[in-house]
Amino acid sequence: MITLGLQEKNTFLEAVNKKSGANVLECYQCGKCVSTCPVSGYMDFPPREVMQMIKLGLKEETYMANSMWFCLTCSACSGRCPREIDIPAVMEGIRHLAIEENYHSQDKKVKEITRFHEIFLDMIKRYGRNYELRMMAEFNIRTRNLFKDMHLAPKALLKGKITLGHESTKSAKAIQKMYKLAEKLEKNK
Amino acid sequence: MARVGVFTCFCGANIADFIDVPQVVEATKKIKGVKVSAEYKYMCSDPGQQMIRDAIIQNRLTSVVVAACSPRMHEKTFRKALSDAGLNPYMLEVANIREHSSWVHQKDKKAATEKASDLIRMAVAKSIANEQLHEISVPVTKRALVIGGGIAGIQAALDIADARIPVTLIERSPSIGGRMAQLDETFPTLDCSQCILTPKMVDVASHPYIELIPYSEVIELDGYVGNYKAKIRKKASYVNFSTCTGCGACTQKCPVKVSNEFNMGIDKRKAIYTPFPQAVPNKPVIDAEHCTMLLKGKCGICAKVCEKGSIDFKMVDEVIEREVGAVVVATGYDLWDPKPYEEYGVGRYKDIITSLEFERMVSASGPTNGLPLRPSDGKVPKNVVFIKCIGSRDEAKGIEYCSKICCMYTAKHAILLHHKVHDSHAYIFYMDIRAAGKGYEEFVKRAQVETAATYLRGRVSKIYKKGDKLIVRGEDAQLGQVVEVVADLVVLATAVIPYKENPPLARLLGISYDKYGYMSEAHPKLRPVETAKAGIFLAGCTQAPKDIPDTVAQASACAAKVCGLFSGDTMKKDPMISTINTENCTGCQNCVTVCPYQAIVTEEIPLGHGSKEMRIVAKINEGVCQGCGSCVAICRSMSINLAGFTDPQIINEIVSI
Repeated sequence: MITLGLQEKNTFLEAVNKKSGANVLECYQCGKCVSTCPVSGYMDFPPREVMQMIKLGLKEETYMANSMWFCLTCSACSGRCPREIDIPAVMEGIRHLAIEENYHSQDKKVKEITRFHEIFLDMIKRYGRNYELRMMAEFNIRTRNLFKDMHLAPKALLKGKITLGHESTKSAKAIQKMYKLAEKLEKNK
Repeated sequence: MARVGVFTCFCGANIADFIDVPQVVEATKKIKGVKVSAEYKYMCSDPGQQMIRDAIIQNRLTSVVVAACSPRMHEKTFRKALSDAGLNPYMLEVANIREHSSWVHQKDKKAATEKASDLIRMAVAKSIANEQLHEISVPVTKRALVIGGGIAGIQAALDIADARIPVTLIERSPSIGGRMAQLDETFPTLDCSQCILTPKMVDVASHPYIELIPYSEVIELDGYVGNYKAKIRKKASYVNFSTCTGCGACTQKCPVKVSNEFNMGIDKRKAIYTPFPQAVPNKPVIDAEHCTMLLKGKCGICAKVCEKGSIDFKMVDEVIEREVGAVVVATGYDLWDPKPYEEYGVGRYKDIITSLEFERMVSASGPTNGLPLRPSDGKVPKNVVFIKCIGSRDEAKGIEYCSKICCMYTAKHAILLHHKVHDSHAYIFYMDIRAAGKGYEEFVKRAQVETAATYLRGRVSKIYKKGDKLIVRGEDAQLGQVVEVVADLVVLATAVIPYKENPPLARLLGISYDKYGYMSEAHPKLRPVETAKAGIFLAGCTQAPKDIPDTVAQASACAAKVCGLFSGDTMKKDPMISTINTENCTGCQNCVTVCPYQAIVTEEIPLGHGSKEMRIVAKINEGVCQGCGSCVAICRSMSINLAGFTDPQIINEIVSI
């Protein structure tokens, strides 16, 4: 059961709106996002319900749900939203807020997704671009599932989806600079 | 010798697809008396009508039968065609072969064709016995009576009076203004209700063509369209309005305090009072139920302080008469009493109020100077829960219909609450948001986005008390979870119901009302302002729940109807009405009882020629009779004749099949 009216202000809603630049209050619960979203079926709460939860200030439930992590930010929802709400930005915003406020879901899938994000960002930071094979290996090692998707490797190699060698980029240094700048900006916020 | 022309219509495919029209035409030619039988794709079109006109002239036709759609559709069209060709328009008969044959017998073309031929044969036989009839002229009294001084009555009165037609506006309460005067601001523009209403009220009072009779009610209405006679009871106000200056000394000094109905009982008024400061007329009246002078003969302070000596305790009700040609009924609405909602604790918890109580509180001129306050402790509430559909769409406890205005005024209340109490929060439990109107959806969005009112979809199941808070329990259907809101104040959007005196008034006026008590319009789509009784019109919530724009539009429509009615010195009326053969009439008065229009009265005539003894016979009032024929059917002595449906005509029809 949800109890409302105890908080002086809906600070959660304000934080999400500020972080995402969207206005969740615009949502009138039509559900077009839900039927558009390719992964809404896998979410604990589909996008419409996430919007309602934010409106009601249900912070913990929102943070602990897998919805925001399952969001692919494909923007199909916002492309069709009649109120023009940037729903992926809202999802992105609550991801950031959850990490900032130290909310960590114990859901296995969510953990894998967050791990994937971390490794991916680390990969870019190190090499300036993604190095698929290494990324896969690292992901498998860190999620303690060494042989996951191994059977796909030959096919992927043949099709050139992954390469054995490491392709570096000239602008790796510049990208690292960007990372530093972003971190600095984040700190000064 | 009869010379009948029969014109059969294809009605595009409507008739031709299911009836063999050429066969019908051929069969028709054989009927005795038929001179011409023709067919056309659309008889109602210009070439179709021309065909009829030409045939009438060329063949010197004596009557015409058009076999087509219902006479409700095109009887007038064809009558005009007849009269254009020099034939009496009432020599027309319409054989309805569309609604009565082709549409209802689509699966059997042979039988449908046969039936069409029969219908035509009957019409031909009837038309042969048709008589030449002429429209009746009825004189018109050019004065309108408007019942009810709310925004509907005010608008109707002003519009009629602006056309230089005298209007008598009567209002039950001491001041005009009605419900709209009680409102703070109006959706969707948040115009101050009083600010847009009071100029109109003043206009009514000062208009040279409007006679305003406040504190009065209609007690009798006789007559018929164009010639009504209304009896109006002017309730005793115990104040002589002609000398009273409205100084207010009496209301100040009056020691008797009574619950103030204008403020929904939130505060008190005196036994001598003006309902609100902007009242029109701004003259006090004495509430006879509470005045101690009138009840016990003690007090009389008001009379002592009145410098003009305007107080008259001996005043009695006065009945006046007005002759009017048309009546506009604008009685308005009441609000449903939410007492049956026991699960909400209505009546037990003081902090549950109705929307109109909230409206009075947030009104700047209201009893709390514009602040919503908790009735229990007078504190300003932070969390306010608004519950919609209280009584509306609730077959178990209230009424089936949607009250139409609650969605909008609740959105308005959420916005007003935020204006008055900045750190407050509005929670709105709703079933649907019905915001159909110009600027309405945008207004609801404003409540949702700018005011950040929390809309929760679901009906509240119960309300219980916890400390000094009310816990409102309902479902949030958007999340599929039960929600409890800790509230300081709960506002119930109670249903709009018809004014409680509607049924007796309707009976008095001779118009019909529906199962709820709303006055019935003549046609829900095409005649929404007229009643079934000619010359009586409806404006505002007397007909159905409406918001202000719709009410004003309907009131102006009434005015247009009244002006149309009064556009000539006489009115034209269909001649197909009953007449009494007084020679045969036995005076049994059965016809008087069955007449649904109260068009039959009795009169005394001499028993024989030159005799002094009198006998009673029935008398038809031409202006009122609608030609329904009920009296003809009940008359034992066959003394009643309905023009256009005479016995020879009917017998001809029956004999022909």
